[in-house]
Amino acid sequence: MRYMTKYIRKYGVLFTFSILLVSGEAFVDLLQPTIMARIVDEGVASRDMDIVLRLGGWMLFITAIGAICASGRNIVSSWVSQRFGSELREELFEKIQRLSFAQIDRFDRASLVTRLTNDVTQVQNFVNGMMRVFVKAPLLGIGGIIMAFRLNPYLSLVLVVVIPIVGLLIVMNMRVGFPLFLKVQMALDKLNSAMREYLSGVRVVKAFNRFDYEVDKFNDINEQYEKRSIHTQRLMALFSPGVTFAMNVGIVAVIWLGGIRVNGGNMQVGHIIAFVNYMTQILFSLTTMTMITNMFVRAKASTGRITEVLAEQDGMDTKAAAENSSVSKRRELHGAIEFDQVSFSYEGADGEPALKTISFRCEPGETVAIIGSTGSGKSSLIHLIPRFYDATSGVLRIDGVDVKEMDTEELRDRIALVPQQSILFTGKVADNIRIGKPDATEEEIEEAAVMASAHDFISKMPEGYSTLLGQGGVNFSGGQKQRVSIARALIRKPDILLLDDCTSALDSKTEASIKQAIRQFARQTTTLLVAQRISSVRDADKIIVLDDGEIVGSGTHDELMVRCSVYQEIYRSQTGKEAGSHAG
Amino acid sequence: MQDERNSKSKGPEAGQGAAPPDQDRIQLAPGRPGMNRGAVQKPKNFKGTLLRLWSYMGDERKRLMIVFLFILAGTGVVLLGPYLIGRAIDAMTIDNQVNFNLLHTVLLVLLGAYVIDASFNLVQGWMMAGISQRIVSRLRKTLFSKLQKLPLVYFDTRRHGELMSRLSNDIDNVSTSVSQTAAQLMSGGIMLIGSLIMMLVLSPLLTLASLITVPLVYLLARTVTRRTKQLFKAQQAELGKLNGQMEETVSGFLAVKAFNYERTAITEFQGVNEQLRKVSTRAQIWSGFMMPLLAVISNLGFAAVAIAGGIMAVKGMITVGVIASFLSYSRQFVRPLNDLANVYNVLQSGIAGAERVFEVLDEQEEENDPPGAVELVNPRGKVEFQGVRFGYRSDSPIVQNMSFTAEAGSSTALVGPTGAGKTTVINLLARFYDVSGGSISIDGIDIRNYTRDSLRRSFGIVLQDTYLFSGTVKENMKYGKPDASDEEVKTAARMAGAEGFIRRLPQQYDTPLTENGGNLSQGQRQLLAIARAMLANPSILILDEATSSIDTRTELKIQEAMLKMMEGRTSFVIAHRLSTIQNADTIIVIDRGQIVEQGSHDELMRGAGVYADMHRSLSV
Repeated sequence: MRYMTKYIRKYGVLFTFSILLVSGEAFVDLLQPTIMARIVDEGVASRDMDIVLRLGGWMLFITAIGAICASGRNIVSSWVSQRFGSELREELFEKIQRLSFAQIDRFDRASLVTRLTNDVTQVQNFVNGMMRVFVKAPLLGIGGIIMAFRLNPYLSLVLVVVIPIVGLLIVMNMRVGFPLFLKVQMALDKLNSAMREYLSGVRVVKAFNRFDYEVDKFNDINEQYEKRSIHTQRLMALFSPGVTFAMNVGIVAVIWLGGIRVNGGNMQVGHIIAFVNYMTQILFSLTTMTMITNMFVRAKASTGRITEVLAEQDGMDTKAAAENSSVSKRRELHGAIEFDQVSFSYEGADGEPALKTISFRCEPGETVAIIGSTGSGKSSLIHLIPRFYDATSGVLRIDGVDVKEMDTEELRDRIALVPQQSILFTGKVADNIRIGKPDATEEEIEEAAVMASAHDFISKMPEGYSTLLGQGGVNFSGGQKQRVSIARALIRKPDILLLDDCTSALDSKTEASIKQAIRQFARQTTTLLVAQRISSVRDADKIIVLDDGEIVGSGTHDELMVRCSVYQEIYRSQTGKEAGSHAG
Repeated sequence: MQDERNSKSKGPEAGQGAAPPDQDRIQLAPGRPGMNRGAVQKPKNFKGTLLRLWSYMGDERKRLMIVFLFILAGTGVVLLGPYLIGRAIDAMTIDNQVNFNLLHTVLLVLLGAYVIDASFNLVQGWMMAGISQRIVSRLRKTLFSKLQKLPLVYFDTRRHGELMSRLSNDIDNVSTSVSQTAAQLMSGGIMLIGSLIMMLVLSPLLTLASLITVPLVYLLARTVTRRTKQLFKAQQAELGKLNGQMEETVSGFLAVKAFNYERTAITEFQGVNEQLRKVSTRAQIWSGFMMPLLAVISNLGFAAVAIAGGIMAVKGMITVGVIASFLSYSRQFVRPLNDLANVYNVLQSGIAGAERVFEVLDEQEEENDPPGAVELVNPRGKVEFQGVRFGYRSDSPIVQNMSFTAEAGSSTALVGPTGAGKTTVINLLARFYDVSGGSISIDGIDIRNYTRDSLRRSFGIVLQDTYLFSGTVKENMKYGKPDASDEEVKTAARMAGAEGFIRRLPQQYDTPLTENGGNLSQGQRQLLAIARAMLANPSILILDEATSSIDTRTELKIQEAMLKMMEGRTSFVIAHRLSTIQNADTIIVIDRGQIVEQGSHDELMRGAGVYADMHRSLSV
């Protein structure tokens, strides 16, 4: 709740004001039956038209006040809750932007999106409700009870009996209902995941002809969900009529007891009418409160999920000490990378570390290639350089400065990464390339696209560089996306270029021409390149062979062909030729 | 961390059993649909869909009618309440002394009415729970079975999220509208008409006084809905934009971080967020006026009845009891008025949901096997493409004029640049898609003349993106051959080179895999998929980039096994790697959906065609 206090401080006054207005509304509702009783008892009973008209006038007057209160609080509560929701969402969004990869991995991305959307809405609705019916209902309930007692303590005996019964029913409803709903929810989750799985695997299902099996599986899950839902809903169906019935019996009792009192001359009929009205109001407030509790439970869970994110420490010390960053600014920067005994393991992974005491140097302007089998730690290594993750031990230096002492933003500005999976954003192709260099001119964009062999296909599209990419680039083929993603990196003219196996969807010809372009362009740029194909790495200045997170060989292609058995194996597997026959 | 998005349809209303008689329920409604659903979704054909839903309910219809009878009777009984209370009051006031005989009789009837009301509500809630859940369960079942019959093109051209939402959200909407709104709509309508009748019977003059609320309600509803309709639409649009932006930024976290894109992303977010806030605030304010002002109108009606009733009572035109009855009726009269508007909206979105479900049900299915279709049993496996043409749309063919023959037992490699149409060829062969022109035959018979079932059973397909299901390793391997013995499973795993890593898994073959095998590496998943295909022991083998994610060393280790698997089987291989390709009997080079070259590796290398060129540029 700590994170909500600033909103309370900010909107506290308006919030209170809105609650005051709601109280006004409730007060009007509460006053009416009493005035009504007086109309009947004083006006009608004594056949005095003046009293009827005077009290009627009062009634209209307070109704008007109620209208003003209602309109006022509607505007205030809408304004406050929407502003609160949008600010909370923004705070959360900004926070997420500051999280580190390790934190994001821990939260799971889908869940972060849910928190941004559903959870914020949930809390916002609750706040909005608080300024409306949530406050009004208890006020009406308590006020109704007080007014009823003041009006006629004797008849209130009925309330003393009925309200605890109703309260008990409501508590039981929640006690029984909550665990049941959890179960239904679990069954629903299962149903949804079965469905999702089917949709993703539909090709395999078709390929293996397993329709009956899939249908059976789904029907089982579906049936279970059906059973649980019916069971739960039926149980719940018991309570609501129970509450209403208890209150209704109360009404009968009030009239009966009232009749006895009226007969003894101790009470007037108007009181009975008013009392019945109050009872209806109390009933309304009780049932509404059940609903509020339900909403509260959900809002509380949502608040928990939101604050869990907000409570995270900012990912990394992105702003290092100022003097350090000024140190790095003063220097002539060229992009020398040095791994010094670097080890790294992922948070929570208790197995082997992903990288084990890696040491190598990469001089400015050099092209260093990293090759190795799947899961050998190539991507992990690349991700340490822009500080997506920090080394568990050892030091990673760029131009002689420990990356942990650099300003992360500045560091990343000097690096361009082409990730393994191309991530593009909704918008124009040009804008996607421009992400690499926000102030890029159209010529620069085109130049980058030419280098990435993307210009041809982009300019062939009807709208050229203004072609809109769908979410995740659905309307582009894998190879096209990779090329746009490469162009986005090249336009940066970075000191360090990181290519993470980014040509997998490209045919060899396209790959070769991109490589050629990069080679020319990257004379000044330190290039670190991850690949699986020997052909992609063979003309690098240095090749590092990774196996199980360790460096098992480094050197030029020719050196490795002589020295490194793992490299020879890879070579053999890709060419079908013996290493010896080709070396030299 | 469970994905909570699907839970939103289980709102407070589910916890409530029957609808609570609160006046302010509508205020909760705008928020309830969560972030992704529209405020009110309009069905295209309300009546038609409703009728279809009705006819769809089958046996439940009878039960539903019974429930409606209960609602009808229950509401009628409730309507008696205020009247009886009025009579009870009269029993105390007429003759200035209490007529206990009359009072007791009236109260007993009242009590009886309440008992009936409660028990009817109970029965109705009980039955309704069963009916609505059975209906949606059946709907879900039908929809899922339908998905089995839809052609692959359907799934390829639609987003999964949207299909998911049809199966969960839309069906839930149907459930809600059946179980709750239908009941509310009925009881509300009866309540409205009933109250009016009772009031008219009691005192036409006083009815006139309380009816002053009607034009006010109408005016209010019209003013409000006219604004909110537009505003909610705009709100939905902004919401969609915002959701898209958020989702993209979070899932593209890597690119955001790598390019220091955070600030731009935040600025963009702020813009849309602010836009949304403005629209939402206005929408909220306008729709928020509805309830409190209705309450005020209701109070006004109360006051009108009190004053007019007071005057009439003073003049002796009516009894005090009539005022008492009237006060209740006038409240009951206004409440359904606003309830109905709200409920109608919920009903509409329910019908719109049903419409989207029916849309799927109406999709064209994979064509049935033609009469006289033959079972394809142990084919020799000669495959022939004759002038094959295919395109989603007729004007832009993806594959055209494609002819080649793959002899039984031979291996064919498909080579070509990205997007050349290699995968489409495979999809056509397995009849995932049907050709638009020309023909494909196996052992001399057009594949459309085989039963689809037997055709696909003859294929072993290992795809580019391997898909594994949640279940154990063994279950996944047996997917293509459910009756395989443990021994067969192990042999297949060994042949595919998957045995090593399976042994290292915590529970070996019984290790459960998470959805899509998330706890295995991409390479391991590929190995499992290959083992799965091996186990099925097909006559024709299709390997679509099957080894693209396996590193070359591992690939080398299973290459032999693959060759062994390909032995004696007609096989089709798509690969980028030359080492995989050059051993094939025939290499077919495809570009822009057409064959540009075909022949063996040596033949093609002798020439100076695309293949030779490609090979040289790639070769080390």
